[in-house]
This record gives sequence, C-alpha cells and structure tokens, in this order.
Amino acid sequence: MSTLDKLNDVFREVFEDDDLTVTRTSSAKDVAGWDSVMHVTLMIAVERAFGVRFKSGNVAGLKNVGELADLVDRMKAGG
Amino acid sequence: MSRAEALFAYVSEHHPRSLRGIQEAREVDPAAWDAVAEQFLGWAAGVWGEDGWQARCIDAFVQFSSDVIMAQARYEADGHYENSSFAECNAHVYSQRDVMDDYLWGVFITNFCWSHHMELSLFFRDRFLARLPGAPQMVEIAPGHGGWGVWALKNRPDARLQGFDISPSSIAIASSIAKSAGVADRVTYTQRNALDLATMPTASADAVICSFLIEHLEDPGLLVANIANLLKPGARAYLAGAITAAQVDHIYEFRRESELVVLCEKHGLRVVETMSVSPKRTLPRARFLPRSMGLVLERRDQP
Repeated sequence: MSTLDKLNDVFREVFEDDDLTVTRTSSAKDVAGWDSVMHVTLMIAVERAFGVRFKSGNVAGLKNVGELADLVDRMKAGG
Repeated sequence: MSRAEALFAYVSEHHPRSLRGIQEAREVDPAAWDAVAEQFLGWAAGVWGEDGWQARCIDAFVQFSSDVIMAQARYEADGHYENSSFAECNAHVYSQRDVMDDYLWGVFITNFCWSHHMELSLFFRDRFLARLPGAPQMVEIAPGHGGWGVWALKNRPDARLQGFDISPSSIAIASSIAKSAGVADRVTYTQRNALDLATMPTASADAVICSFLIEHLEDPGLLVANIANLLKPGARAYLAGAITAAQVDHIYEFRRESELVVLCEKHGLRVVETMSVSPKRTLPRARFLPRSMGLVLERRDQP
C-alpha cells in the first residue's frame, strides 16, 4: 500500500467519512472540517499509522496531502 | 482594507486551517474584536510596517497555535506536561532569541485570535483596566510581548509602568510595542527574574499585571507572595494562568480553578473577581479541558 493510500485511510478514520478520497493536491479547502485542531488530531493519527513522531514545527506549515506524504516518507527513511 | 480585513485575507490565503478559530474569536463580540484587533495590529504594524506585520506576526501565531495544540495532544496521551524544570525551559526557550521572538509575536496575536483569550482580554479591559485608581504606578511581571501593560498605558494616560522579564526578547519586543503605541516615555522594562521581585520595595504599586507566568514556574506561591508584597494596601492585581493547558514551557500543572484561588488567598490576596474560559473546540474525546483563568486580586491586610 502506498503512503498516499494509507494516508487516505487515516483521513477517512479521522474525519469519519468512508467516502473521503484525498490526492496529493488536497488541502484544507477540499476537506470539510480540516481546521487547526483537526490537523493536529490528523497528525497524531498519522504518527500511529506510520510509526513516526512529528515535531510541531514540521507539521504546522504543511500545505497539502502531498507535502504530508513526502514528510512521512522522509521520516520513515530516517531523514 | 482595514488591518482586520487584511488579517482575514492573509489567513485565508496562507493558513486556511486557522481561519475558523479566528472567526470564532470575532464572534465573541464583533465590535469589540474589531477594536482590539485594530489596536494590537496597529502596534504590530508600527513595528513591522504595513506590508510586514502579516508574515511576521500571523505566521508566528499559526506556528505557536500548532505547537500548543500538539502539546495538548501529547498531554492527553501522557497525562502530564512534557517538562517540569524551569531551568530546562530557560535553556531551550526563554534564553533562545529566535525561539522567543516567534513565540512572543505568536502569543501577542492570541489575545484576540483565540476565542477564549478574546474573552479574557475583555475581562482584563472591563474588570481590571476600567477600575484602576488615579495616576496608577503599575508593575508588570513578565510582560512577555508587553501588550497588556501597553494596553493599560493607552487606556490611562496618567499611568506609568515598570516591567520585569527574564527574557531579552521580551524586553526588546515589549519596548518596540510601547514605542509603536506612543507610550514609551511612561514605561521602563528591565531584564530580571520575576522571582527576584522580593528585592523590590514593599507596598509600592497601585496595580500589578502578571499574565500567564504562573504556570511557567516551579513554585507559583513565591510569585503570588511577591505580587502581594508589591501592592499597596487595597491595590489590585490582574493575574492570568493556564489550567490543564499544555505548552512546551508550562511546568506547573494547575488542575482546578480553586487551586489558583486558594494559592492567592494563602499569600495575602483577596480574590475579587474571576473568569475561566476554554477554547470553542478541543481535541476529540479529550479528557482535559484546557482553560485560561483571569483573576482580579486585592491586597488583603485584614482577614
């Protein structure tokens, strides 16, 4: 399963929407309820799903799902 | 375009996830929000210029807010604050100029862009500032960005203020805001540990302001005793603190409002008024409700 596919599962779980589909360009404007509080909730769920631990400074500026996927991939690669 | 409109336009374009929270803050009292926002943003514009305050202050606010929510999420998982040592926070936060600059400008914006802090700002204005005595000699302990004391000076042209903060960033930023607000001739800021105030003359202040320092200390009772020591008999203080509200440099975990009340009463202060507020939205299924509490206090010389 690709990082993006796995992220999609996390988005569906966090936003409680089984029909939600995100792409690399999906951003807060495309996902209802993706505000600052839900962003952190999402990040904690992503941490659990991928076995990584974010620093807050790394996640506040993420613009879209693609940037999040790239960050996850870098962290899993040890970057 | 007003500065408030510019703020919303900037947030919509660059930080859409933060838009809802700021809208909620304005909904607390739209007319009051517009006035408070214009005041604070006007001071920021005086420091950074009309084309510079958005990127400097709003980006810092978004980062600070993210840090706070993330810290609260870790607190939910761990059941305790991340740090417990003042020395640790001083080494990693207060003495680090770059970290503190962003931190303080971020906090500055929370005064009206977090809904519960907007409520607390109005409490500060209406229940403390509006009741200061004539020509007050004020002391601000740990002014941070300096906004509360500067607000008091703008509100009362006959007031003077001395501010003490451990952080050189605080001294620099508070001084710049005081200059921008046109009150620099009535304020002096000195770099000093707030807990050294025991060396200050007793009963010298008509009013004391101490906003969101107490949860950063290992021994909050010492601070409260110093506030009581500074006040003239019957003079009032404004104290604000955080309750089950995590932040990287929050080390003293107040769990109940009554703990702050009892602490003040134990150290010679009468609790005149209080207000405890919480964010409109919290983390899903949270067990801790983060609150900010404001207290108007009076030096009590009789039981």
